[in-house]
Amino acid sequence: MKTLRCLINDIKKYRKYIIYSARVALQAEVTNAYLDWFWWILEPVCSMLIYFIIFGYVFKNTEQYYLVFIYSALTMWFFFSRTINASVKLIKASKGIITKVYIPKTVILLSNMLIFLFKMFISSIVVVVLMMPYRVSIDYHLLGLIPVLGVFFIFCYGIGCYLMHIGVFIEDMSYVIDILLQMLFYFTGIFYSVGKSFPAPLGQIFETVNPLAFFIAQMRNALMYKTDISLKGLAVWFGISVVLAINGSCIVYKNENTYVKVI
Amino acid sequence: MDDISMKVENLCIDYRPLKNLPSIKKVFHELPKDKNKVIHAVKNVSFETKRGEILGIIGKNGSGKSTMLKALAGIFRPDEGNIDLRGNSISLMSIGVGFNEDSTGRKNIILSGMLLGFTEEEMIEKSKDIIEFAEIGDFIDMPVRTYSSGMHSKLAFAITANLDTDIMLVDEVLAVGDERFRQKSLEKMKTLITDKNRTVIMVSHEMNTMAELCDRILWINDGEVKEIGDTQKVIDDYIAFMNL
Repeated sequence: MKTLRCLINDIKKYRKYIIYSARVALQAEVTNAYLDWFWWILEPVCSMLIYFIIFGYVFKNTEQYYLVFIYSALTMWFFFSRTINASVKLIKASKGIITKVYIPKTVILLSNMLIFLFKMFISSIVVVVLMMPYRVSIDYHLLGLIPVLGVFFIFCYGIGCYLMHIGVFIEDMSYVIDILLQMLFYFTGIFYSVGKSFPAPLGQIFETVNPLAFFIAQMRNALMYKTDISLKGLAVWFGISVVLAINGSCIVYKNENTYVKVI
Repeated sequence: MDDISMKVENLCIDYRPLKNLPSIKKVFHELPKDKNKVIHAVKNVSFETKRGEILGIIGKNGSGKSTMLKALAGIFRPDEGNIDLRGNSISLMSIGVGFNEDSTGRKNIILSGMLLGFTEEEMIEKSKDIIEFAEIGDFIDMPVRTYSSGMHSKLAFAITANLDTDIMLVDEVLAVGDERFRQKSLEKMKTLITDKNRTVIMVSHEMNTMAELCDRILWINDGEVKEIGDTQKVIDDYIAFMNL
């Protein structure tokens, strides 16, 4: 409870800094890139086209609304992978700031996540555009996206805290993360349905046990299939995510004193 | 009236260098023998500062001066001992104060100020004076990574010197920059010093500057207090010690 109180106080105290810092980083990114913010859309669009050509055209995947199916999953995946990749190097990358002034390290993580969240929302515009030719209709089920994305954010933050901590002490952690992310990408069902592709009950088990596959499947239910999200599954992942987030924050708060000294 | 602005008691700071920390290979094969090697950077340092005082800290390289300033600034907690700021606000002036290298100098002014507890609006208001003082011209709207080290320190100095904190910690900043800026920053320091409500703690190897500006000197050697007191006497003793 103490950690949660500490985290909430820090978010309150540094909320303006979190927003301003994210805004400045986004501005710096677009100023330095030739195609500005268009890259935030172009990156997932290019990936989507590659997977569409390979799996939709060559392997003749029969998934409904296939472009939307891939692209919506990719926007969530990019948020997750960006958070994970950034977290593991975050303390060392922030050396210039954290060795000159005190800032809670959880605040740095949140500020970075806000950047990735913004990119995710910008690239989500394409989802809407892609839904039009498929005539994907939406209804009240779309509201299910809110709790799904909320729990997804808490989950990413929790994992981010652990990796931020480990990244300080284990030099070559980023290499391990690269491999793990690659594995997770193929087991998550970005371009196929985990639930349908493995024989029952394995498919359902994989989709429930792999958090990324679960969040993406629930997002697709709410966005494309007009079906209810799994409230039971979401409640379980909410519990796990909250424990991860609080425990991860606790580890970071306990050790942040050491981070500044060792980097 | 109690005019003590800061009280430091038995300050101890230890650290473990990164090279002693494990890589995955070491975790699986062999743990380094000196894995738990701890360096005692600051050992049982105690002192007080008075409101309006300028305390100079001298000592050879690696004696723990900058580490101590960081602990005083709250960047990390001491391992032992206590730092009582008596409710005063504090800022550390050093090369590259909290800079985001990809952002412009102008944005960094606001970011740095926000980290030191100022609001965005307050910083926008102060920006004009800071930019004018920093004298880096059009570079203020360029990413900080394009700055020379001199420009870095000019901007860092300008930011901290224009933020009204009760206690200012200055780490070697006076020793960099071109001659003109050194003179200007010295003048600015003198202006700040004349503010009887502000305490300044400065670390420098420039003995002439320290002798000119400081009311007292704290000499740190291998993390311990070697001597504290009259400026000229401590500087003379330090120079004699270094020339041995």
